[in-house]
Amino acid sequence: MIFTGVEMLFFSLGVLTTLGVGAVVYFNRIYKFKALTWSTILTGLFLFLFCIAWSWASFLEGEPRSSSMGLVVFGIPAIIFLVLGRKFALKK
Amino acid sequence: MSEKKDPINFKRRDFLKVGGLSTIFGATALASMPKKAAAKSINKELVDKLVTTHDDFPCEVRAYYVPPRNWDHVQTRSIFHKEVKAMGEEVDDEIIADGKAFVDKMNFAYDDSKVGFTQIDKALLAGSWAMSNFAAGPAPATIPDYGTTLWEQRTKPNPHALFDNDYVVEKKAKFESKQDAANHIKRAARLFGADLVGITKRDKRWDYSKFLNPIPPMARKAFPGPPTPEQMEEMKNWGPDKFITDWNDFPFVPKTVIVMAFEMDYEGFSTTPSYIGGAAAGTGYSSMSKTPYQLAVYLKNLGYHAVAASNDLGLSVPYAIAAGLGENSRMGQVVTYKYGPRVRLAKVYTDFDFVEYDKPRSFGVMDFCKNCMRCADACPSGAITHDVNPSFEPTHENKDIAWYNVKGVKKYHIDAKKCFKIWGEFGDDCGMCIAACPYNKPDFWHHRLVDGITAMMPGPVHDFMREMDELFGYGNVEDEEAVKKFYSPKGKSYDGH
Repeated sequence: MIFTGVEMLFFSLGVLTTLGVGAVVYFNRIYKFKALTWSTILTGLFLFLFCIAWSWASFLEGEPRSSSMGLVVFGIPAIIFLVLGRKFALKK
Repeated sequence: MSEKKDPINFKRRDFLKVGGLSTIFGATALASMPKKAAAKSINKELVDKLVTTHDDFPCEVRAYYVPPRNWDHVQTRSIFHKEVKAMGEEVDDEIIADGKAFVDKMNFAYDDSKVGFTQIDKALLAGSWAMSNFAAGPAPATIPDYGTTLWEQRTKPNPHALFDNDYVVEKKAKFESKQDAANHIKRAARLFGADLVGITKRDKRWDYSKFLNPIPPMARKAFPGPPTPEQMEEMKNWGPDKFITDWNDFPFVPKTVIVMAFEMDYEGFSTTPSYIGGAAAGTGYSSMSKTPYQLAVYLKNLGYHAVAASNDLGLSVPYAIAAGLGENSRMGQVVTYKYGPRVRLAKVYTDFDFVEYDKPRSFGVMDFCKNCMRCADACPSGAITHDVNPSFEPTHENKDIAWYNVKGVKKYHIDAKKCFKIWGEFGDDCGMCIAACPYNKPDFWHHRLVDGITAMMPGPVHDFMREMDELFGYGNVEDEEAVKKFYSPKGKSYDGH
């Protein structure tokens, strides 16, 4: 074992954060986000990353129920916010 | 013809520019704080915001509070009931029966049909306690001056030992400052095995006022030399009139108490009630018989008097609070910032006082306890109160005969008699309150984050947090799956690869 689970988690979070922010900036240049779109998408992105962080960490500590609950409690709102954000971005 | 502008014209050169600027900015920020890592600095600032430091002891203590004697402890009074009776005091038959059941089961019982109480689990319990039993004997039952908690302060090595450093050296070591001394002592304690360490002034309020010690002095040493004629004579004349000692018999006037906490295994405690949970506590007790002794010898080699103590000499919980290790709680255990209530406590009494003392700190535990009550709900004997607010007097149904409760300290009062009864039934020291506590979590970042957020929130949010803790599957007790998980090699990497 070269890397521990937590090290892998935070490395992956770094990669995902970079990709997420990159994607938001990319789409902003195309669709010119308004304040509401920005806040919705950034909230969704934060919740999505937090969901991965929580669930992975809970899995590592051996608490699968907490891991599943993390997916439900943080993951579903993340998807809702991101879908809403997409809707706001595409709205003329 | 107008020039068409590319909305995503972010070239590689621009990327390098942004990256380069970010790197320079980051490096400048880091260079501006050369002596401390940035992450540590941010972490410290956050912790300082969440943790309140107190100048005085953070629980109100009224003038009529009287420090207890060590045989006011229900376990001591029960197990040493013959000695207490020999001194002319009454002992409740019920606690004698509970103590006997507990000792019998701890020593001999197992049940291969009961998960967590099999012969294999019993062997784990026996191994966990072995060092404590051998080195500190009755110290967990508050009896002082035995084995590694011996009061003896020799000034010369034992002539019968090959190696012996357990004596007070003549030359006193000097430290640059009080903080320097505290740093050295804490580093030594950590090296010897303590997970947390704090230093506080000796406070007579938290010391047992008198000690029952029925063990003849000659039988107290782990590695005695040949008995002297005086010791043989003392042995012949040993009896109840010599069972009681007090601070006048202590070999020096203690000025400082170094308090240590030892983390107990999370997975082990998740199995409570079981012998595995008992083994997690037993391992802590074995550490309590080892590390404080090492620290006492360290202090003796600095030229100062020192005596190691586990549950003996004084009340560990208020001392731990005074030394800044944690906060009081509904279940009466100290709740530490890092490990919650899942710790065992030990102390070293010394006359060394050129040291920076720690201050008590709180981080919202007592506020959270008002709403949570998970420990009280989990307690199988109902020993933990459901009162919303702490009180100066016990409020439980045995309050009028509760000789075992200290009065005059604002806290949640436990019915120790009920608690002890369940020890007899299980044959181990239960621990379901500790396992159920929302502060009992593995050392992972997301729990510290939740604890921090909870501390900043008002009462109604605490109710919500308690419900979420349960919903997320934490704090389960009487869970047979937890036993399987404890023994499973999955994720444990025993060979380190």
